Amino acid sequence: MRYQHMFVLFEHDDGNALNVSYEMLGEARRLMDGFNSRYSLDEKVIAILLGSGVRDLAYKAIDAGADAVVLADHEELRYPRVNLYTKVICSIVRDRMLIKQAAPSTSDEYVKPRYMLFGADSIGRHISSTVLAELESGLASDVNKLVIDDVTITHQYKTNGKPELYRQILFMYRPDFSGFLWTQILCLDNKNPAIAREYSPQACSVIPGVFKPLHHDGDSSRVGERREDGEGARIVEYRPEFSSDDLRYRIVKREIVRDEVGLEDSSVIVAFGRGIKDDPEGNIRMIEEFARLLNAKIAISLPLSKQPFSVSSELKDRYLIPARVVGSSGKRVTPRLYIAIGISGAMQHIVGMKESDTVIAINPDPDAPIKDESDVFIQGRLEEVLPILIESIKGSGKDVGDGDGGAGADAGARVLEMEKGKVKDRDRARV
Amino acid sequence: MHVIDNCKQRLKVSVPAPLIDMNGDTLNVAVMVKLEPDLSEGNVSYNPDGTLNRSQTKNILGPHSAIACRAGMYAKVCYDAWVAVCSMGPPTAEIALRDAMGICCADELHLYSDRIFAGADTLATAETIKHGIMRMGRRIDLVFSGHRAVDGETGQTGPQTAWKLGFNFIGNVVDYSVDVSRRMVRARRRVDLPGLYTVLEDVECPLPALIALDPGYRDNYRRVSERLMYARLEKEARRRVADYKNHLKVWSAKDLGVDLRYVGLAGSPTIVYKVEKIPKAKASRRARVVGSSSVEELREVGNLILNIALGEK
Repeated sequence: MRYQHMFVLFEHDDGNALNVSYEMLGEARRLMDGFNSRYSLDEKVIAILLGSGVRDLAYKAIDAGADAVVLADHEELRYPRVNLYTKVICSIVRDRMLIKQAAPSTSDEYVKPRYMLFGADSIGRHISSTVLAELESGLASDVNKLVIDDVTITHQYKTNGKPELYRQILFMYRPDFSGFLWTQILCLDNKNPAIAREYSPQACSVIPGVFKPLHHDGDSSRVGERREDGEGARIVEYRPEFSSDDLRYRIVKREIVRDEVGLEDSSVIVAFGRGIKDDPEGNIRMIEEFARLLNAKIAISLPLSKQPFSVSSELKDRYLIPARVVGSSGKRVTPRLYIAIGISGAMQHIVGMKESDTVIAINPDPDAPIKDESDVFIQGRLEEVLPILIESIKGSGKDVGDGDGGAGADAGARVLEMEKGKVKDRDRARV
Repeated sequence: MHVIDNCKQRLKVSVPAPLIDMNGDTLNVAVMVKLEPDLSEGNVSYNPDGTLNRSQTKNILGPHSAIACRAGMYAKVCYDAWVAVCSMGPPTAEIALRDAMGICCADELHLYSDRIFAGADTLATAETIKHGIMRMGRRIDLVFSGHRAVDGETGQTGPQTAWKLGFNFIGNVVDYSVDVSRRMVRARRRVDLPGLYTVLEDVECPLPALIALDPGYRDNYRRVSERLMYARLEKEARRRVADYKNHLKVWSAKDLGVDLRYVGLAGSPTIVYKVEKIPKAKASRRARVVGSSSVEELREVGNLILNIALGEK
């Protein structure tokens, strides 16, 4: 068999694992358990771990679902550099002897991986692209559902218009930018004799936060199954050697920065979407005032980050920016109170806010999907509803101070943050 | 020890002769751009189910492509670079090239347009653009690409083109500078690590390189001389745009000398098998519905909001 196993790039920052690494391994475990039993094969989940002094992460990868880990531990690999990492990763996955050590079931004809998973983030997005350019195969990005199945395809190019059976195909589902459509992407060999070509691995980058890590299923049986030789999970080392040319790409300085918006730490969030369209400038100003009264941070839905409205550059630069996006392409937030103004509620937005304690939505459309995620749904135009809410809050004489839109935004936020954590129990009855 | 010598990256590129500007003093820049649906309000049209109505939505130079053009202009202002803008697309994509010229005062526009390119995935697109960049008649030192297209949203074509060209790839760049005599580029990257933190990383690497700009890229013209030069080039850009067709070269697959098995649908490993509506999730909450006409009820909600915000139950 020329193509075997599912490889997962284990992503971390100098030893701090990214959650998406565990999520990918959990999903890989589930997929390959199903694959092996369905096709009576013995293919493995192999984590690829590059870094410096990260051996302990190899054990964590095994606990999280890997059958084996190929570890390239080298000072020069401390932080990802796309070209260097790509060379190391491609060398690993093409090294039949090495893969045989990691997975003794590897065939003598092994050439390349069957499947590969990466995170759809600042690390995996680019490395997946270059790795698949080098391995000359297909790559889907930002996937949130994976299925392995056989399928009969009739395609003008791939099959020359004739039906052909494709086996063990990875169905890669990705939501489109609107969040309403799901596209199934398949990576298929050209069976058409005129352009015959095999494409492997079938690979994708997966959206962080979508798949469940293994242990959340209550399966902890793999803990303690660490065996570096003999049966069971294995860790094999790969010792890279670099040319001086490879190392001319240097990381000069690294600095961890605080998120300038800080949505994740906020206990009250006011979010807005395309519903502001009738008077973008005026409506954002009004939302700003509303947020200030509640000491809330301001978030937006993804379409707004594409700056579809003409508003003053002051508002544009402050609010219509990717750092404020809530959803699968942005932040996942869990505030005490989430107020969605003029947001219809595409799935890609919902995944970012559905864990909020209380959700209040303002929307004129009685069928807007956001309604199913709301505790209170105010059916109406924000231009009518917000002034009344603002007035009633002002009238109470208890406004909470400076959120986004006011001076000293963060000073007020800190006071409220002390409350965070205390009020996590969901008391929907109060609504 | 494992020697990393089985990657084809360095071997793949053979730059056709003859080339000019081999003395290393001139910085030769290519900007890759894409024609994309205009998602701005008033131009975009959505179907009743919330999906994009493509036939009713006009196409423009993509916003991330425009950022790549700003980086190209910066190279022109600060390093007196020669700049070409290129795009793979239908004949109508020349308007994206025209608008790109207006931003970066491009010297040349290159459109790779052939029915055989249609339906290409990122790998096949990168193959086409690689050939285009190799055939610009100059040794290209620096390529700029956007972060990702607003419609495809993969962000893969930039890094894949870099790899196929054998160039260093630097992604998520918010600021850059070039040391032309040392042939080195220095860049600041913004690395978002979901669930951890954000890192600002300064890197340095030799040319040739391909830089994908972060949406947060800012062109900072720090010196007065740079601002003066910018103003001059902006004026020149307007003049060129009026006459853009004289700077435009359209390339077919044959002109580019691509292997037809590696471009378009034939060269695309992936296909879009199905497009379906994302099924509506099960309602996770049962909303109390409040109408907008009942001021009393709205005031009550206002109080509720305030109480929750204050942390009172």
